[in-house]
Amino acid sequence: MSDARPAGDPGRLEVRILRKAFVAASGERAEVLRDMTFGLDRGLIGVLVGPSGCGKTTTLRIIAGLDADYQGTVVRPAVGRLGVVFQEPRLLPWRTVEDNVRLVAPGADPAKLATLFDVLELTHHRSHYPGELSLGLARRVALARALAVSPDILLLDEPFVSLDEALAARLRDELVTLVDNRTLTTLIVTHNVDEAVRLADRVFLLSARPARIVVEVPIPIPRAARTAGDIASIKAELARQLGAATGMPSTITSNVQRW
Amino acid sequence: MARLASLVIFIAAWHIASDLAGEQLLPAPITVASTIVAEARSGVLFFNLAVTLTRVFIAFALAMAAGTAIGLLMGRVMLADRLGDPWLIVLLNLPALVIIILAYVWAGLTEVAAILAVTVNKLPNTVVAIREGARALDRGLDEMAQVFALPRWKILRHVVLPQLAPYLATAARSGLSLIWKIVLVVELLGRPNGVGFEIGIAFQLFDVTRILAYAMAFVAVILAIDILLVQPLERRASRWRPRTA
Repeated sequence: MSDARPAGDPGRLEVRILRKAFVAASGERAEVLRDMTFGLDRGLIGVLVGPSGCGKTTTLRIIAGLDADYQGTVVRPAVGRLGVVFQEPRLLPWRTVEDNVRLVAPGADPAKLATLFDVLELTHHRSHYPGELSLGLARRVALARALAVSPDILLLDEPFVSLDEALAARLRDELVTLVDNRTLTTLIVTHNVDEAVRLADRVFLLSARPARIVVEVPIPIPRAARTAGDIASIKAELARQLGAATGMPSTITSNVQRW
Repeated sequence: MARLASLVIFIAAWHIASDLAGEQLLPAPITVASTIVAEARSGVLFFNLAVTLTRVFIAFALAMAAGTAIGLLMGRVMLADRLGDPWLIVLLNLPALVIIILAYVWAGLTEVAAILAVTVNKLPNTVVAIREGARALDRGLDEMAQVFALPRWKILRHVVLPQLAPYLATAARSGLSLIWKIVLVVELLGRPNGVGFEIGIAFQLFDVTRILAYAMAFVAVILAIDILLVQPLERRASRWRPRTA
């Protein structure tokens, strides 16, 4: 029973998933999400962190409207355009980089697109086909495509996974530059706590299956001002709160860093 | 170069075989060639080729269009597949001759009946090929199109059809050859003109030279279509694929 109605604050994302289950090929019902409840104000970056396979992608798919088979409600901004970066770039191999982006955003201002390509260092690849790109570049194209539609909500599913750390760090910076210049609500899914702490205005820690939010931590320090020390202490704080919430000693919960 | 060599070998073998079998059964290549020239000079050849080609193209266009639509539907919608599958098996296995004769009996010896009979013969092959392609469509790209709210015609043009291109090419290739063979039968049985009609007359007169002349002329036309039209289209459709060394 899904249901989407306009929210009170038109920019706020409101997620209340009571239950989501899959029926496996063997006929067994597996419950993936239970009481997954959270909200995110307009203009903020929220990051969902949890162990792999816990249901993060499922949550994102429900929010994106790709899966209507769940109990609960998801309220997206009333006239919100949606931008999604999937885990795989999902580009059309038979269209050039530029055509891939223009296809979803036919009304986009050429000057804005040029800036977008420029910030993501794609200018020289506009006429290339996705098969000619590295994974890092293809990810950038997927990011450019999602931003080209001028989204009100941006959903990213492990956007930097399987890239080397230096490249991931660069892409994270580019993402932050692009997102901070607009008013859009961003939700990122990752298993990388470090990434979460660097990017988020709010971090949501997920439990194992059936997943729900166990800890929600706002990070008031502006992204650009976060020092290595800040990041370490926020991570320690996350581990402590996770320990308090689940009753596990913090020696175990500090493993959260290796999720 | 290799193609040319294979052509030379073919003509040489034909010449030798004709010497052994005698002009009556298998006329020499030069005899056939001069008949082609004579028929071309009188204009009969071109008239008949044009008539037959027109029928081929109309039937081809109809079968490809309808077959693609039905194939997509059956590949994407489970219910359509279940409902359509028995029909498909019947059509696939119904002999061409039965369809042609029934069409002529029910609709008379008309142009419409002829073209319809050919179309129905080709239709199931197209459906099967396109259905296979539709089943293999990338779900990830579907979802991408959905979240970015692409309009239907854009999805068809930019997401679905490029994925179907290899299947469409296969269906078109096998389709063209199948259709021209069936068109000849249709013409033989119930049309007053066309390559099939001419071959029917030649058969009654036991004129093997004429039969070969018309067959060769038509094969040349089909070959030209393949080289000048089908192959460039295929190259264009696959230009995004990374070149293999």
